[in-house]
Amino acid sequence: MEGVAIIGAGQTRYGDFPNKGVKELFAEAYLEMLQSVDQSLDPQMIQAAYIGCLSAGSGFQLGQLAPLLMGHVGLPNVNAVRIENACASGGFALYNAACAVASGKFDLVVAAGVEKMRDVSSSKGRYWLGVSGDTEYERLAGSTFAGIYALMAARYMHEYGLKREHLSMVAVKNHKHAVANPKAQFRKEITIEQAMNGVPVAHPFNVWDCSPTTDGAAVVLLCNAKIARNFTSKPVYLKGFGAASDYLAIHDRNSITRLAATRKAAAEAYKQAGIGPGDVNFAEVHDCFTIAEILAYGDLGFCEEGRAHYLLEEGVTQLNGKLPVNSSGGLKAKGHPIGATGCGMACEIFKQLRDEAKEPSRQIKNARFALSHNVGGSGGTAAVFIYQRGDE
Amino acid sequence: MGAHISIPMYQRAVPQRYRLAGQKCLKCGKVNFPPKAVCKYCLTGAEFEEIQLSGRGIVYSYTVIAGGGAPPEFSEEARCKGKYPVVLVELEEGPRVIAQLVNPPAEGITIGMKVEAVFRKIYEEEGVIRYGFKFRPATSDS
Repeated sequence: MEGVAIIGAGQTRYGDFPNKGVKELFAEAYLEMLQSVDQSLDPQMIQAAYIGCLSAGSGFQLGQLAPLLMGHVGLPNVNAVRIENACASGGFALYNAACAVASGKFDLVVAAGVEKMRDVSSSKGRYWLGVSGDTEYERLAGSTFAGIYALMAARYMHEYGLKREHLSMVAVKNHKHAVANPKAQFRKEITIEQAMNGVPVAHPFNVWDCSPTTDGAAVVLLCNAKIARNFTSKPVYLKGFGAASDYLAIHDRNSITRLAATRKAAAEAYKQAGIGPGDVNFAEVHDCFTIAEILAYGDLGFCEEGRAHYLLEEGVTQLNGKLPVNSSGGLKAKGHPIGATGCGMACEIFKQLRDEAKEPSRQIKNARFALSHNVGGSGGTAAVFIYQRGDE
Repeated sequence: MGAHISIPMYQRAVPQRYRLAGQKCLKCGKVNFPPKAVCKYCLTGAEFEEIQLSGRGIVYSYTVIAGGGAPPEFSEEARCKGKYPVVLVELEEGPRVIAQLVNPPAEGITIGMKVEAVFRKIYEEEGVIRYGFKFRPATSDS
């Protein structure tokens, strides 16, 4: 298997952009990615593109989105395909792009994601967001993803003594991290009192436990590791990548206080990278709802199952802690443009591992290994990546 | 917006929605609900015997959906009631199912409480009222 390196990464700011559609968002991220490549790169050398997207602007372009977007940026003839696994579309685009390079078939491949969520009414938005779960039973119980994650949270509280306050600690932490991130949707701190007393959504969640709807795009350029140094002296190596599935429906799963897909994907990624959870210096994890970050700590091996809330109490996952999680602000505060999210995490890690995190206050120092974790829906799919800095 | 669950699609699941028809795997004897093509327990059995589930079980987890957490086709229900509870129930026969809880106890829902299935209106779509099972607190200890 060939080694895989990231040699460029770009993303739009995440937020609400009424003047930009999927084409404009994608182009902005793509052009920023090209600019980030240190040595000159002829874009015509790019051979393939894997682009994650759930709904292409809530259905305006149902088919063949990837060639539409690549044609818009002057690459009409690459091997372009859209990848869809709900909120993990970006992660699976990155995974498939990494496999394409690792196979030796291609040397230069784009992995990208884009989502335009702010064009539609809130009711249509909720329609789109629910139809990636188990539509026949979960949905007909009157539940969207908020309700499904709420069922996980209530069970976790029952089994392990997690308190409402611990959920809010995730939101407060991630909002705090987003303040210094110029790409984040919500660059403002919230207090624990605010976070605990928001408008109810699905008990135990209030609005501060939920990620927002977001417009945004993210693009990374993968390269065969053998030739990465032709383009940059600071490549970031993709040392391990894993992906897995699970039953879509919560009622089909044995345990609802863990995501089996994350565990399987993480085991695959750690094994390939030859490292363990203790070697990870920082991570971007999928906090679509606050409980999701708490589940991720156990599923990724950062702690034993059921002990995640102690990491929060001890501040381990704060920016200045031993294992910073979601330095970007996470889905909660950086934003969650569905298809872009998994690739946006790779952009954050690319910048951090090259010591280019713009605002010096948010630069994580002396990091060698990082991890990203992207989940589809309530855990029907998950992808996990291990990154290693390349300027050592 | 088009239908989310079409009338024919709903019609095909009537045995499950009206009668809680489960499938007992002829290979391992375990009960699947909703139906699978291959048994979710032994992962090999593909022949089943239909059995009638009791509808009795315990609350494995629960939530209470407020307006912002409701899908658009349940928005009106959330508006009328303010909020409605959804429970994940572990049935006596083994499978877990998800549905709304009606007549929730005044003292609040608890994990482990006994419930039983009832036949109720679920919602209306394409001008047709869709019926199916919900749960209510158990009326006896049976």
